[in-house]
Amino acid sequence: MSFHHLDRFAHVPSPVTRVPPAGRIAGTAALALATATLPHGAWVPLGLLALLSVLLLALARVPLTVALARLAWPLALVLAASTALLVMVPGEPLVRLGPVAVTAPGADRFATVMARAMVALVPAILLVSTTSFPELLHGLRGLRLPAAVATALGLAYRLLYLTVDELERLQRAARSRNAGHGAAGRRHMLIGVTAATLGRAFARGERTHDAMLARGFTGTLPLLHATTWSVAAAVHLALLVILAATVSVMARLG
Amino acid sequence: MAHLPDGFLSIPVLAGTAGASAAALALAVHRSRATLGEREGPVLGATTAFVFAAQMLNFPLGIGASAHLLGAALVAVLLGPAGGMLVMFGVLLVQALLFQDGGIAALGANTFNIAVLGVGSAAAVFGALRAVLGPRPRAVALATAAAALVSTALVGVAVALELALSGLVPFTAALTLVGGGHVLIGLAEAVLTGMLVSVVLRARPEVLARHTEGSRWTPVRAVALGALILAVMTLAVVAASSQPDVLEAALERFGLAGRRPAVPAPFPDYASPTGGPWVAGVIGLVAAFLVAWGVAIAIARRRT
Repeated sequence: MSFHHLDRFAHVPSPVTRVPPAGRIAGTAALALATATLPHGAWVPLGLLALLSVLLLALARVPLTVALARLAWPLALVLAASTALLVMVPGEPLVRLGPVAVTAPGADRFATVMARAMVALVPAILLVSTTSFPELLHGLRGLRLPAAVATALGLAYRLLYLTVDELERLQRAARSRNAGHGAAGRRHMLIGVTAATLGRAFARGERTHDAMLARGFTGTLPLLHATTWSVAAAVHLALLVILAATVSVMARLG
Repeated sequence: MAHLPDGFLSIPVLAGTAGASAAALALAVHRSRATLGEREGPVLGATTAFVFAAQMLNFPLGIGASAHLLGAALVAVLLGPAGGMLVMFGVLLVQALLFQDGGIAALGANTFNIAVLGVGSAAAVFGALRAVLGPRPRAVALATAAAALVSTALVGVAVALELALSGLVPFTAALTLVGGGHVLIGLAEAVLTGMLVSVVLRARPEVLARHTEGSRWTPVRAVALGALILAVMTLAVVAASSQPDVLEAALERFGLAGRRPAVPAPFPDYASPTGGPWVAGVIGLVAAFLVAWGVAIAIARRRT
């Protein structure tokens, strides 16, 4: 297992990938923030921000099918979180479902929240599609992410799939010894396997860190293809932030 | 729905929680360097990877349901509040940026709920209970389980409060659904985290011994904090009782309202014989405080 399937479009040359990672993260945050904080019922500004996000996807040359496939799971999470809104808001009942009723204001808020969440997901998809994990970390470090968290994430990136594989290997070993029969047995087996993985993850973390220090690690992971700021990239990013801010302010004023 | 997507919260709530999270994380960075020192990088990295991996496992609960570990209480017990907060923040950051689990604009709110409040309250409850109950493995596992339950329930209350403050849903409805849901999730989390910590204690006790040794918690401090929390919560409940009670609403829905209670309450509907509802509230508050104080002192005396 690895992260590589996530980074397939990270090195496709485009106006988006020419912006350094810190700028990409800032642009994504600006678009997500502008979308998430649109006032209730501001459908035209929401449409404009959606159009802007889709345009950026096209500019970055991320295929629509890939974007849609990546949207599916987060969208399911958003749907699961917002469905309860249908019945939680008091008001005139539209449909009765046993003890609960879908209300008109509930349906209205559900539609608004779903639409905002869906549009805000597009820039996030764009960021993850155009930025590899080391680049992302480098960008976050540039945006003043504490060094402790950045180092932890860098190490976690190296250790994550090893840890997952370790969990699977230990489970396979336990099962081959007939451990984990029934729900209680399986729970005990999994707890034992998880505890063993925790111990091994700590030991591996320290070993890896020692090896990194021996190779001259100073606290930041070097990048193989560092993107530097160009005038064009800065202008593009500024344009994007100004556009998002304008739509947000217009939606609030009128 | 502990991971709030974008579009749910209003600007003041987003800004307030982001500010609080930034302040708490700045403090955590400072503290974590002091407690973990040279080993900060490998310990935090390994724990972050472990939390991600452990969240992928589904543990059968034996009642036809299964649950996955959330990890806030576990990291609080393993690393203490500062290291735990940084690990959970790292997990939330990657979940938001890489897996779109939780919104990017809502990252401040999610960090506040899960990393600051979840880990912070779990560490406080664990530290206090461990000081009262002692260092025996069973007691530590029990303290961990209680910390997991309390912190998950508090996260639910915080999410409900944020949704209500954003004007999305009424507080009572949010508290019933989100808060109630989190109590159930918290029960599963308590069982899993408690079991996991008891196995870790047997297999690798040094992992846990690290930060609990120099703990500043003494039984008396722990009891004082517990009593204070209880007092504040009682006051909050009394203050909130001007709204129709959740329990009463449920009783009404199921047609049970108006039945005589099996045990008559000393002050029905907070009507004190000596004054209004606030007097009854204060009497209840003092009584609850004294009972909690007495019970906790008795336990603390027995342990020390």
